[in-house]
Amino acid sequence: MANPGKTAQPRVAVAKFASCDGCQLTLLDLEDELLEIVSRFDIVEFPEATSRRSPGPYDIVFVEGAISAPEHIDQIKELRKQARVLVTIGACATAGGIQALRNWADHDAYRAAVYAHPEWIASLATATAVSEHVKVDMELRGCPIDGGQLTELLTAVLVGRRPQIRDEAVCRECKRKGVVCLVVASGEACMGPVTTSGCNALCPSYGRGCFGCFGPRTNANAKSWSTGMLKSGRPPEEVWRLFAGFTGYAEPFRTVITELGKTKG
Amino acid sequence: MIISPAQDQAAAAGQWFLARENLGTLVEAIRGTGRRVIGPTIREGAIVYDDIQTAADLPVGWRDEQSAGHYRLVRGTNDQVFGYTVGPTPWKRFTFPPNLAIATAHRNNTFGFDQPMPDAPPVAFLGVRACELAALAVQDRVFLGGQFTDEDYRARRDAAFIVAVQCTTSSSTCFCTSMGTGPEVHGGYDILLTEIDGGFVLQAGSTGGAAVVAKLPTRRPSHAEAGAAVDNVEAVRTMMGEPLPMAGVGDRLKLQLDHPRWAQVADRCVECGNCTMSCPTCFCTSVVEKSDLDGKSSTTERQWDTCFDVGFAKVAGGDFRARPRDRYRQWLTHKFSTWWDQFGSSGCVGCGRCITWCPVRIDVRDELAAIAPPIAPTVRPVAVEPVAASPGSYSIARLASVQSETRDTTTLTLTDLDPAFLAGRPGQFVMVALPAFPAVPISISRFRANAIDLTIRAVGPTSTALVNLHPGARVGLRGPLGTFWPMQEAYGRHAVVVAGGVGLPPLRGLVDALVSNHDRFESVSLFYGSRTPEDQLYCDDLAAWSASKAIDVAITVDRAGPEWKGRVGVVTTLFDMISWDCSNITAFVVGPERMMQASVQGLVSKGVPADRIHVSMERHMECGIGLCGHCQMAGRFICKDGPVFRLNDLGEMFNREGI
Repeated sequence: MANPGKTAQPRVAVAKFASCDGCQLTLLDLEDELLEIVSRFDIVEFPEATSRRSPGPYDIVFVEGAISAPEHIDQIKELRKQARVLVTIGACATAGGIQALRNWADHDAYRAAVYAHPEWIASLATATAVSEHVKVDMELRGCPIDGGQLTELLTAVLVGRRPQIRDEAVCRECKRKGVVCLVVASGEACMGPVTTSGCNALCPSYGRGCFGCFGPRTNANAKSWSTGMLKSGRPPEEVWRLFAGFTGYAEPFRTVITELGKTKG
Repeated sequence: MIISPAQDQAAAAGQWFLARENLGTLVEAIRGTGRRVIGPTIREGAIVYDDIQTAADLPVGWRDEQSAGHYRLVRGTNDQVFGYTVGPTPWKRFTFPPNLAIATAHRNNTFGFDQPMPDAPPVAFLGVRACELAALAVQDRVFLGGQFTDEDYRARRDAAFIVAVQCTTSSSTCFCTSMGTGPEVHGGYDILLTEIDGGFVLQAGSTGGAAVVAKLPTRRPSHAEAGAAVDNVEAVRTMMGEPLPMAGVGDRLKLQLDHPRWAQVADRCVECGNCTMSCPTCFCTSVVEKSDLDGKSSTTERQWDTCFDVGFAKVAGGDFRARPRDRYRQWLTHKFSTWWDQFGSSGCVGCGRCITWCPVRIDVRDELAAIAPPIAPTVRPVAVEPVAASPGSYSIARLASVQSETRDTTTLTLTDLDPAFLAGRPGQFVMVALPAFPAVPISISRFRANAIDLTIRAVGPTSTALVNLHPGARVGLRGPLGTFWPMQEAYGRHAVVVAGGVGLPPLRGLVDALVSNHDRFESVSLFYGSRTPEDQLYCDDLAAWSASKAIDVAITVDRAGPEWKGRVGVVTTLFDMISWDCSNITAFVVGPERMMQASVQGLVSKGVPADRIHVSMERHMECGIGLCGHCQMAGRFICKDGPVFRLNDLGEMFNREGI
């Protein structure tokens, strides 16, 4: 059981921390591929889908959610020990997610404002990406993750190659799809140039600027992009919100937000 | 039937007129040949190229407004069908698709690879502009012009029937006239349309095109209609203004690989790749493997990619173009320079899409001007029309101040001037007269905000009278006259000014201009020689220039007293200080005849090309406008063909004795 060996199916676990479960649902939503997936992977631990539990070690652990509460830290360290390959999935696990907005706020004041008995709530002052606590082998970005990228990752594991997940601007997907640039043609606010692709330009395809949920791509020139937005007349508060939205605690968005926070005073 | 000469002419040119309300018949006729028609239509707030079922799908009465990082659809003032310029996505989308399966592989007991056959059903492109035809020709050379070819591209290209439309408007981002690709269409089409009031002048460019035209309810255009078609396109050329100085831009860029501007533009660039994806000639791709979960089959998909991609030049050991500036430089130099080396043409056709669709508003035209400024601009500044040009007619100026320079030389500052004098250029001169004194030619030695300086050596009656005037006195002027220093020719080079004695006044305005534009030159230097320290002109200016970083000043005197601490020797001895590449020098020389002779010889022997040495010649002048005959030098009038000449235009006549 401990070592599945080469011929056995990979043992897969899915775990979560502070998150909405949407990324786990993306796996369950792979309706056309699901039977093929469960016939090739042994999904032994998946609380979202089954109450059947199975201890580690695992070949692959998919981790959803941000590290947000004191007990998460020990739990993720233990999961890491049990995982041959640890894959973080979604904006929360890879960047801290929406809940990382509290990293720029007064944690205790928030807690007091939201809960009747704040003293009953054990939470960390920050919500952070899994990679800030343990080594992560692969990431799937997005809020939620893209089913196609998840399938590609699973396929790549089976084939034995590196997943073909591009690290490029969302703009590239707009251009390949023939989506007219919202920034240039409509003056929309859009995070596309600094955000990594993978969603197939979902929001711009529906006339909405990119929310940046896939997070910063490698070499994202967040400074130029935020400066450009300010120069084109967007108020600092709006630019702050755009960068902070889903993946704001990931660099270099984090620096932009912190700098804008200083100018806001 | 009576055929008018105009109709005869139109017939000879194969021209027809199709009324606007009949444009639908063109779409129908093409669709009738079994082709899908792709043309301009409104979608997502832009005029894009997409399926056209009927003429109602066309953007009648709409135009586009384009500038750097800005595109808006706006209502036109008429019902033009093709009143826009170019759409966001180029035609390459249909000849070179953004995603294409180029191979499949299967693995059962054995394994193998298959290449799909090109699938290119017949299609028609309606509304292809001149720049876009040029872009298709560029990609033809890329994909079909070499030893290895792209057969999918060939199939799609062969399947395309092209209806070109000449532009009758331009956007601020358009620069086809600079790239030599438009606005006129020259070949490469099946049918060519030019929109005029009420319809289109059209002509066929192929037998297929002629067959379609034959089915349309056309007539021969009237003389006026054929003329309007020509005029409407010609008007676009005027609309675009002076072409950019593109001559030699490829070589200029190659000399500027270390220019600091690369890093500056890369700081702004967000590397979204929109410029390359919107570019009608960019052809870079990457492949991705798409495998089935069962592991039995996989597809290799080719996708549009861009040299701005982080991993585009990556290998196992690192990235060859690791910095954003490397990637920006790769793109710009490829488009405008190395493309020539690879494919024998520019990679840019001047459609302006990279400017419009750049979300941070980078304009390649500005980057080129900053990084590789023109060495020889195609457009030369034109001299201002002189005032009081005929001898005897003078414009009156007022003497504002008098400044003694040396024992016999004085600078007069004149004000209350006709604006023409202020619009003169360094190197030009004025004819100066006082009542009862013959007019004398004096070069303008400085242009001030509302005044000009004339530096005068008191050698004759008029010059003596002039230097003895007091502020407030009136002076008669004609001019500005003659040729001027072609400062632009020194852009990107070492600008060297060589002055001997009283040769400095005609050069001072040039030195002022070089100093204030110093960042356009590799370097700016002044070599100045005078007989003695007491003969030096403009001592304050020399001191100020010496202190400035904008210009290097070297001074020498022929003879000096014991108090002189500087160099002694003729001005050519200063040339030993030239440490830079002399082939990249543009020189401006004025002085006494022997000094000019020696200076020119010195410069040429150091390797300065003769066509980059400019001299100002002196001769007796009376009229200043080529009518009196005094100043002739062989076939030239120094007053109107000069005084500034390019050395090799003078040839053997330069300083030849007795001419």
